[in-house]
Amino acid sequence: MKIPGNEATPSDPGLRSPSPLINRRDLIRAALFAAAASALGPAFSFAQAVSSDLTPAARGEDGSKFLTNPNWKAAFLNDQQNESLIALSDVIIPATDTPGAKDALVNRYIDLLLSVQPPEFQREFVDALAFIDSESQKQFGKDFRALALDDQIWLLTPWAYPRERSHWTERNERQNEAPESSYQHFERLKALIAAAYYGSEIGLKELGWDGEIAHGAYEGCEHSTTTHT
Amino acid sequence: MAQDTLQQTYDAIVVGSGATGGWAAKRLSEAGLKVALVEAGRAVTPREFTEHMPSYKLKYRNHSPEMLRTRPIQKQCYACMEYNYEWFVDDLENPYSTPPDRPFTWQRLRILGGRSLVWGRQSYRLSDVDFKAASRDGYDVDWPFSYADLAPYYDIVERYVGISGAAEKNEMLPDGQFLPPMKMSCGEVRLRESVKNKFGRTLTIGRAAILTQPHNGRAACHYCGPCERGCFTFSYFSSPFTTVKDALKTGNCTLMTDAIVSHVDMDTGSNQARGVTFVHRVTKETKQVRGKAVILCAQALESTRILLNSSTRDYSKGLANSSGLLGHYLMDHVVGGGASGTFGDFNILPTANPPHRPNGIYLVRFRNTPATGKHPHFIRGYGFQGGSSPEFNMDAPGIGTDYKKAVKLGTYDVSLGAFGESLANFDNFCEIDANLKDAWGIPALRISMAHGKNEAALMRDAGVTAAEMLEAAGAKNIRLNTGVEMPGMAIHEVGTARMGNDPKKSVLNAFCQSHDVNNLLVTDGSGFVSSACQNPTLTMMAITVRACDHLLERFRRNEV
Repeated sequence: MKIPGNEATPSDPGLRSPSPLINRRDLIRAALFAAAASALGPAFSFAQAVSSDLTPAARGEDGSKFLTNPNWKAAFLNDQQNESLIALSDVIIPATDTPGAKDALVNRYIDLLLSVQPPEFQREFVDALAFIDSESQKQFGKDFRALALDDQIWLLTPWAYPRERSHWTERNERQNEAPESSYQHFERLKALIAAAYYGSEIGLKELGWDGEIAHGAYEGCEHSTTTHT
Repeated sequence: MAQDTLQQTYDAIVVGSGATGGWAAKRLSEAGLKVALVEAGRAVTPREFTEHMPSYKLKYRNHSPEMLRTRPIQKQCYACMEYNYEWFVDDLENPYSTPPDRPFTWQRLRILGGRSLVWGRQSYRLSDVDFKAASRDGYDVDWPFSYADLAPYYDIVERYVGISGAAEKNEMLPDGQFLPPMKMSCGEVRLRESVKNKFGRTLTIGRAAILTQPHNGRAACHYCGPCERGCFTFSYFSSPFTTVKDALKTGNCTLMTDAIVSHVDMDTGSNQARGVTFVHRVTKETKQVRGKAVILCAQALESTRILLNSSTRDYSKGLANSSGLLGHYLMDHVVGGGASGTFGDFNILPTANPPHRPNGIYLVRFRNTPATGKHPHFIRGYGFQGGSSPEFNMDAPGIGTDYKKAVKLGTYDVSLGAFGESLANFDNFCEIDANLKDAWGIPALRISMAHGKNEAALMRDAGVTAAEMLEAAGAKNIRLNTGVEMPGMAIHEVGTARMGNDPKKSVLNAFCQSHDVNNLLVTDGSGFVSSACQNPTLTMMAITVRACDHLLERFRRNEV
């Protein structure tokens, strides 16, 4: 990326790099900081911002470090719930050619989130987790985390798709239909696991994130106007 | 309580350092006036900007318990996040009240630059259809000036700020001094052509205070995306790094941060404002600043609060309130109506990487225009903002490998959301709540506002017209919203000290000067006579420059 009009930006960062260790991104950052410093007015000073007035993010803290702490302990979930959540997340978003929810430690983020949520949110989550185990017990006589992978998939998949109405009766009624709450329990768990996964560093990389802050200007539609009409 | 008067008497005291206060400080200090710029919050530095910090580094990923505890109202604002919530006021320290059945969300910052740090950056001119709306439909009154009076000041502001956008020659939305426009996506091009060909309506790229080329010493946008977390290259307009910086460079402007103005001080004998009193945010000491003119730029509700808290024996209902209208005619654009859908036939995948365009599209008002005539169900109109782009689909069905694939395949989304005119109504108002004070002992506001039948009709129509236009452009899965969000949600509060030529029917004259106290000005959104439906900041800045030039002329004639 070039920042025209800024002397701190070499015309071609790739070629002028003083050291092979300084990559393009570092140069962009350096240029940005130089632009920032030059724009400061006389009455500004970095010291004027009292650190207690800053958010942890504005202080530059990496708040994700707790996830990989070797002494990590759950703040909200008990051991059984934590194990169930890990098993569930691993089936919903497994490791494929890319890491899955277990690798992304979604259980640890969800545990932290639950610990600061209102009681109703906590209760709904715990109920949903218990529902999965109770269905598993009904069908297999075991908790979900103890099932073989095929059985886990067999149990979850019907809840993971929108329901079709019955074609067989005029009133679209079906016998033995699972109650609405079973879908809600599953959807609640899946949505939270997906948010925790795609909100993680692993999840962002799964989406193709390359960590760069800039790739030039937005070019938009490059087709002729009539292509789209 | 310790009282202390600062020695120097300034030519002008500007209260508030946001979009309008920055302009007032710049305009007056560059003309040679000695200016005190008084800001309730602390200074801000680029070092605390977080626009390049990935969201996974936020410990709670935007669910910070400290943010939820201290900013329960502020977090209703899209821009208040775990990254930057300290820029927003602490709701526990800055209370206000509302009647139980008339909720209002008041979203605001107290920091150098105020809301200009996090604003949406959309910048649109009003037209004579807005300034003279009352003459056309008979509702309420016209503004005390016309488009031709303000146009030169729009030019000045746009040339300095740098507005990227496209000229459209649409009488509802006058063109301005534009930097090159940002580009549109394929979906936006399709929608633009469709609404032009099938409805005769104008859809244009958002006119944004974001640079598309180097401008006045600032670099062009590098398209990282989240402007509201700051910008290391100052490519979007925020006052600390532009107008305020220029003002300080003159050597004529003194910046006082952490100075919470409680009231304007009056010299009763001469009926002149002689300065302001502020409480220091940290030490809670009270100090007075003296000035020959006082210019309030604290944001409509806050400036009005200062005036209501400045009652004297002569002005028992609030300073500059002989009309009894101060605080009344509070407006905030009505939002909620719109529609969304998907385009199924673009084979373009979503991306997690920049460029992220920090701007959307704008669909110009097409109801109750000179061209389209009178609508049977409502007066005035609305404009749409929105966009169309491929997005990841976390709501995809399934589990396992299939789900992971479906998320990345995404959907090509398209959406339009309306900003509708909020009619000026005497019954929408703010006043001092006798039983409520902020953390500095300053009496707080009671805000009483509700959108009415006309606003509801606008949103109902907006939902339907948005759905019609999306469908005509070939969108599927269309979802329509005809709801009305809580007032305050648009964060476009204006009114409360309306301008006008008749001192009995207005608070300020056409140059934002109090009818009652001629060295007292209010140049933020307070003076708006109507809300129009365009984002108001550009107009507030133009009004400020016009008011400052008029004040300078009075200084030259020794009238101040």
